Amino acid sequence: MRYPTAIVGIGKTAQGTLPGATPLGLQIAAVKAALDDSGLDKSEIDGLLTQPGTTAPEGAANYLRLGEALGLSLRYGGSFAMGGATCLASLQMASLAVSSGAAKAVVCAFGDTARSGGSKFDRAAGWGDSWGIWGMFSAAANSAMTARRHMHEFGTKSHQLGEVAIACRRHAGLNPDAVMRAPMTMDDYIASRLIVAPLRLYDCCLISDGAAAFIVTTHERASDLRHRPVSIMGAAQAHSPETIGNPNWWYVPHQRVAIEQVYAQSGVNPADIDFAQIYDNFTISVIVWLEHAGFCKAGEGGPFVEGGRIQLGGELPINTAGGNLSESYMQGWLHLVEAVAQLRGACGERQAPNAEIGLVTGRGMTLNCSAAAVLGRG
Amino acid sequence: MSDYLKPLPTITDETAPFWAGLNQGELRFQRCCGCGKRRYPISQVCPRCLSADFAWEPVSGRGRVFSFVVFHRAYHPSFAADVPYNVALIRLAEEIFMFSNVVGIANEDIMCDMPVMVDFERVTETITLPRFRPVRTP
Repeated sequence: MRYPTAIVGIGKTAQGTLPGATPLGLQIAAVKAALDDSGLDKSEIDGLLTQPGTTAPEGAANYLRLGEALGLSLRYGGSFAMGGATCLASLQMASLAVSSGAAKAVVCAFGDTARSGGSKFDRAAGWGDSWGIWGMFSAAANSAMTARRHMHEFGTKSHQLGEVAIACRRHAGLNPDAVMRAPMTMDDYIASRLIVAPLRLYDCCLISDGAAAFIVTTHERASDLRHRPVSIMGAAQAHSPETIGNPNWWYVPHQRVAIEQVYAQSGVNPADIDFAQIYDNFTISVIVWLEHAGFCKAGEGGPFVEGGRIQLGGELPINTAGGNLSESYMQGWLHLVEAVAQLRGACGERQAPNAEIGLVTGRGMTLNCSAAAVLGRG
Repeated sequence: MSDYLKPLPTITDETAPFWAGLNQGELRFQRCCGCGKRRYPISQVCPRCLSADFAWEPVSGRGRVFSFVVFHRAYHPSFAADVPYNVALIRLAEEIFMFSNVVGIANEDIMCDMPVMVDFERVTETITLPRFRPVRTP
């Protein structure tokens, strides 16, 4: 088998506003769903990687609490906080663990009650002197800095950011499990209020309760499980620990490093990719990722997203379940779940045609962390 | 001045010279004695060569607005009265990037790459913040 590891199970819970739910309870439900989906018995699971939810009181002990709840015996485990890069970094670590023999089957899971628990993603970053001294609060502000510079340097327009929001919303409308399904027009987008200019409300992802999980094992073990396996053709991380100490911080240069690794591992190039699940904490993130992933040149992401190109029926459908912007904000975990479902051909109305190879990307923290994966059918 | 409610820097042995300089009307940064690199944020060792030897050196105070944003909501109550307010990423002539605020201009008139000059605003008895003011170019 050319690609030694595969994703054999996916699970998710209801998404949105789930009063009374706990991050751990949701995580347990998502893992059970992934186990059922795979056909593996829990006794075969010996690895567990998790991202603690923003409201999870146990923090880095999250994998221990989840492992305790599920009665797992582990040879491999840990919890990681790289924001929206954690899911795909976990995929990479799970794949490496399984291919090296360190673990036989690894469950990866995230659960959060960010919405009911009041997580606001409003903190000021900054090492040493807090950026809050200048009023530089929130995750939105970092992406707004990127958007402004992208507009200045490349001529990117607000309505091009709107194209990203509209594509995600249209796809969410085809997804019965999505939180925001009502159609969005360009007028709706332009009329949405400014949050941190140039970003508007509809440039910003949702804040959601929910959970998602997936299971990685060897292709060999995958061959007689419930679903046709999805190959992990490439999975990689890249980080720029520096923020403003790096003159190119605003353009998130390490994203290109992550992409180059997954293209080299998989032997895939942009023309081979049938659909993409692109990290969309803010609309500008999609435009920058499309450039780093080589679908267009640096600076051409704005024109690229116009004319329905990134919608189902277009050249490169992205975020086919609605993404962080309109499906639910699971910090990218649902991007991976959706990619697997697409490659199984299980997406009904929102199925991308001939979906054989998909790209998934994630990024997190203060534009510091990125991860990417190329997944393939069978 | 004691009613200043916005976040203030935490003065440590490492950061004190930066803030002392501002009180004297001087914007200064660490410069590595090993490789000559100027650095910011303030840190113990040079991220390029890891030398722990450095000197504090003043900069010209000239720079450009590299990028900027305008907050239309206050994520911190102490900024509520200022909305809409700007935060800018300033690129100093010496190739140091820092966050600050652009003053003396309407938010609508701020532009990327606009030349600016440091200005000092005493906000408490012990803290002076560097802001940036547009300069006219001939």
